[in-house]
Amino acid sequence: MARSSNYRNSLIAVAYNAGSLAIALVCWEIFSATMKSPYFPSFREIFAAFVQLSIEGDIEGIGLGQHIWASLVRIFAGFGAACAMAIPLGLLMGLYPKIYTRTRAIIEPVRFIPPIAWIPLAIVLLIGFQRYAFLIWLGAFFPIFINTLVSVPRVNQIHLNVTRIYGATHWYMIRKIVIPSVLPDIAAGMRIGLGIAWMCIVAAEMIGGEMVGVGRLILKYAELIRMQEIIVGMLIIGVIGFIMNEIFLYVEKRLFKWRWEVSLD
Amino acid sequence: MIIARKEKVKVQVSKSFNNLLVLDRLDFTVYENEFLVIVGPTGCGKTTLSNIIGGIHQPTQGQVTMDGAILSPRKQNVSFVFQEPSCIPWRTLWDDVKIGLEIKRADPGLIEKRVQEMIDLVQLTGFEKYYPHQISGGMKQRVAIARAYATDPDLLLLDEPFGHLDAQTRYLMQIEITRIWEQLKKTVLFVTNNIEEAVFLAERIIVLSRLPARIKGIVPVDLPRPRDNISPEFLQIRSQISQMCETAE
Repeated sequence: MARSSNYRNSLIAVAYNAGSLAIALVCWEIFSATMKSPYFPSFREIFAAFVQLSIEGDIEGIGLGQHIWASLVRIFAGFGAACAMAIPLGLLMGLYPKIYTRTRAIIEPVRFIPPIAWIPLAIVLLIGFQRYAFLIWLGAFFPIFINTLVSVPRVNQIHLNVTRIYGATHWYMIRKIVIPSVLPDIAAGMRIGLGIAWMCIVAAEMIGGEMVGVGRLILKYAELIRMQEIIVGMLIIGVIGFIMNEIFLYVEKRLFKWRWEVSLD
Repeated sequence: MIIARKEKVKVQVSKSFNNLLVLDRLDFTVYENEFLVIVGPTGCGKTTLSNIIGGIHQPTQGQVTMDGAILSPRKQNVSFVFQEPSCIPWRTLWDDVKIGLEIKRADPGLIEKRVQEMIDLVQLTGFEKYYPHQISGGMKQRVAIARAYATDPDLLLLDEPFGHLDAQTRYLMQIEITRIWEQLKKTVLFVTNNIEEAVFLAERIIVLSRLPARIKGIVPVDLPRPRDNISPEFLQIRSQISQMCETAE
């Protein structure tokens, strides 16, 4: 009963999304038709550009697949490095708040510097692949770090006391209570971080020097003022980001069922 | 009868938070295998007291000893049933009941056997693979009781364990906890604000005053079990304790 109504609800949601997407496309078409300007290509032209980029590649003959792959590798390198540093650091500072309160003057201002502002320094200090990874790392690091940091003090004291009464060691409590408790918050931080990583890709590929990458693709066609190819690049970033986010959400819901499902009483 | 029993836990503590005195020179003994109930009004520091006895908090003055040694969860075998729901949300019932034995590094074979015994004891057989969000409030409190008994504790502390339950479930749980205690005979310290519950369960009742908590009196309850909560003897003890609570200091 509950299952079939869930299924129905998600079908309805899909139908509404398809409908609103169709309306948005129609609006764009009308807009583009009335403007009659090369800056606002019609959907048909955008699709033609997509097909051409996929089959023949861009002006340098680099295919769309190569661009996407190059960007994905960079995203995962930067995002992976961000996770590897932000999660342990967030846990450490959450467990020992003194470390955070005594280094806040360094951490907090850095958090507000936009990744783009780091470009000149990145060019001076780093080369090649490091530049991409560094800029993406900058974007992804703080949401993961902050989410982890603030979730540690919110661990339910009763759960800690349950283990404390049996004489559990500090290490046991961290492993068996603190980490499982904060895992959903870390995952949410990662999801946000991944989104921001995608937002940094154009900035990163602006300075990377290589001619491949979705961000680079947009920049190339920006120089030529070719809107349809630029929009193809934009949509690709949007759609891949969307798909990754959905996968993430799905995995979160499966893993942290205990947190999502309503209790019986 | 009580005088002949062995002294198990000696409590002599005071506790203040900043300048607020919460526990004022409480001094009492829990005898071996005794069912001792502490009854006191809401907010009189009962939870503070049970947390101190359990070693979760430290007293400002004095100490708690068990079998002559200062009570510490690392060295002695204590269990606690908390007032708030305490099931670990990501653990199944089985894994939750296991937690004390896991921390105390019991032998895996023993854990298997003991956990099943405890789940059977609190009548949750068949629910081993369920998660806390899939069971009712009464069942969660049974899990907490099974978890507490699993380590075969020398002292079992129950801090208003049925406070969150509805009246009917609460009554059933009282019968249940009496049955388990008669079966396993452990030293039990049960804290409550409910006088009827105290008379229903206790061998001996310690009555606490309002803040700062002082001992107002100790009442032995020598009624046969299962107790009849409308018998004249029961009602007589109940009104005796009510009067104690009402009298001014």
